[in-house]
Amino acid sequence: MELDEFRESLDEWLASHEGSLRADPADADTLEGQLEQLTRVKRATYDAGWMRWGWPERVGGLGGPTLLRAYLGQALTARDLVEPGIYSMTEVLVPTMVDHAPPELAAAFVPRLLRGDETWCQGFSEPGTGSNLAALTCRATWTDRDWRVTGQKVWTSLAQYAQRCILLTRTGPPESRHTGITALFVDMDSPGITVRPIETMHGLPEFCEVFFDDVPVPLERTLGEVDHGWSIAMDLLPFERSTALWHRGAFLRRRLEQLLATAPAGALDPLEVGEVYQALFAFEARSRATQHRLGAGERLGPETSVDKIMVATTEQALFDLVPDALPAELLAGDDAVSERWRTQYLYSRAATIYGGTLEIQRNILARRVLELGPDR
Amino acid sequence: MMDEHERDLFERTIRSMFDSLAGRTLEESLRVAGWHEALSADPRTAISVLFELAGERNANPSIDPVVTRAFSPDDLRGALVLPPFGSCDAPAVRRDDVVVVRGLGTAQLLEGEWVAVATRSDMGTELLRVPMSQLDCRPIAGMDPGLGLIEVTATLAMAPPTGDDTTDRWEGALALGQLALSHQLVGAARSMLWLARDHAVERVQFDRPIASFQAVRLRLADSLVTVEAAEASLSAAWEVGSPFAAAVAKGVAGRSARVVSRHAQQVLAGIGFTAEHPLHRFVKRTLVLDQLLGASATLTRSIGEQLVRARELPAPLAL
Repeated sequence: MELDEFRESLDEWLASHEGSLRADPADADTLEGQLEQLTRVKRATYDAGWMRWGWPERVGGLGGPTLLRAYLGQALTARDLVEPGIYSMTEVLVPTMVDHAPPELAAAFVPRLLRGDETWCQGFSEPGTGSNLAALTCRATWTDRDWRVTGQKVWTSLAQYAQRCILLTRTGPPESRHTGITALFVDMDSPGITVRPIETMHGLPEFCEVFFDDVPVPLERTLGEVDHGWSIAMDLLPFERSTALWHRGAFLRRRLEQLLATAPAGALDPLEVGEVYQALFAFEARSRATQHRLGAGERLGPETSVDKIMVATTEQALFDLVPDALPAELLAGDDAVSERWRTQYLYSRAATIYGGTLEIQRNILARRVLELGPDR
Repeated sequence: MMDEHERDLFERTIRSMFDSLAGRTLEESLRVAGWHEALSADPRTAISVLFELAGERNANPSIDPVVTRAFSPDDLRGALVLPPFGSCDAPAVRRDDVVVVRGLGTAQLLEGEWVAVATRSDMGTELLRVPMSQLDCRPIAGMDPGLGLIEVTATLAMAPPTGDDTTDRWEGALALGQLALSHQLVGAARSMLWLARDHAVERVQFDRPIASFQAVRLRLADSLVTVEAAEASLSAAWEVGSPFAAAVAKGVAGRSARVVSRHAQQVLAGIGFTAEHPLHRFVKRTLVLDQLLGASATLTRSIGEQLVRARELPAPLAL
């Protein structure tokens, strides 16, 4: 399947199925509603085949270029059928399984995630390790029978709904940093796991604290080699900054269109709108080139921090238009549309924080692209 | 259209042309190198390669062959008058039989007997042919004498318009010119970034290279991001091929070059403020290039106005 053919037939299919895929607008206000919607769309697109294109056949995919995934996410986001943040988690979780899980494990579980039968989460961040991932301390100890995991994760998206977790643990000595980390595939209903959703400023309890108290994990749930989990985390970052960002770009375009369509006359400053559009155009151009590099099998590296910085700053600049353009809706509206502007405006404050802060991204470029040497 | 191999070869030719100008003017060398033929065969490659390399080296190829491409030789028989600083409007306005010209020209303007002046009126844009003798031409030294710009002004009594509306051709000319200048701006911005980067790595203060200080690293990283943004926008604008996209690319490139110029000046500090260091030439040139065929501020506002009026966005780039 090539991109042009995929685009044409998917657009046609969506045109006739959009109605049945569309959420009850009231659902968009709650995380449960968004997840139900996500499940509905994933199931329908998986059963019709769309969701399987761009993934290898050995994990239930239908093969074909990764560009097909980029287009599917764009098409669903541009029609407001999914929230891009929770939709694109697949783009980060599945490549890890494809590249590092034992083949039978990947074959058994990946289709469940793609079809929306399961929700997964990613246990990376810890209270003491936000940007400094290599300092993680959540420990997995081998007991001759199984792994035992004890420790804490934080900012774990959707952990309260998840059936599985891709978890980074410390298996080497405490000071082993990059060389003593192991990735595990953990059942979230294992004994000893406690999940506590975090109340956040944007009102949706998307992120959680996850506590592990002597949690058993079988050996065959080890992803990659023991003590080599760092390379798994590194392999996944380019995915986090390619396909998923392209989807986010489609979301930002959609929201800018809605702002232009609904803002009262005179409420938008043309200079600011021009700046935001230019930033969006530049991001789309950059990200498209990245999708094609990925599609051509090129190995993506630190230069993808450029994409991440561009999308994050574009998102903030776009939502910075909203307080002046729609003050009554943003500050006082109690309808679903106003609620959505409010949630997304507040969420955009985190755009330069999650997935590697703006400062970390700029340091990556400084060290690895501009080759400025060490920073101390 | 050149294939990848031909493009590489062409780029090497233009690059070595710059390295061995040896007493020849840039225009002569471009003729010898076959650049004008390349411009007809594959405008995108000819323009992007030449203007980006020129930007990097602070060289100044004439924009005339680029902007006059949209017109037939019959229309022209002379150089085209460019809009005044900041503006991307046609440089002349007609009221009845009076035409007021306020624009700019390159050195080529003085070589011919005629110039072509795009003129706005209620009826659209007409292309007037005006004898040089009727124009006031003032060579501009100013910020960057090396550019050899000329200020053109005139108040002319002209016969009524012929009704031949050349708006499309004028917009096409403007768009190609904007793309060329954007490449020159990107090239100049890249050079400023690398001048600052090399200095930061070599310059030691407090027993460590200043590149190890966060404040310096963040400025350079931001410069890199903005140069990459300009480069990507330009490449997309060529593919989209609309005047709107060219204006977007010029807006992004102009702002990017000014941001990089500010960061590079700060990182280069004292040495970058001397006349001995090359930075000042790039700073001055990008300041002028930004103002030609639409300044970033003008273009950005105009793009925003068009979007606010239309209440929708142009179609996204196809994946």
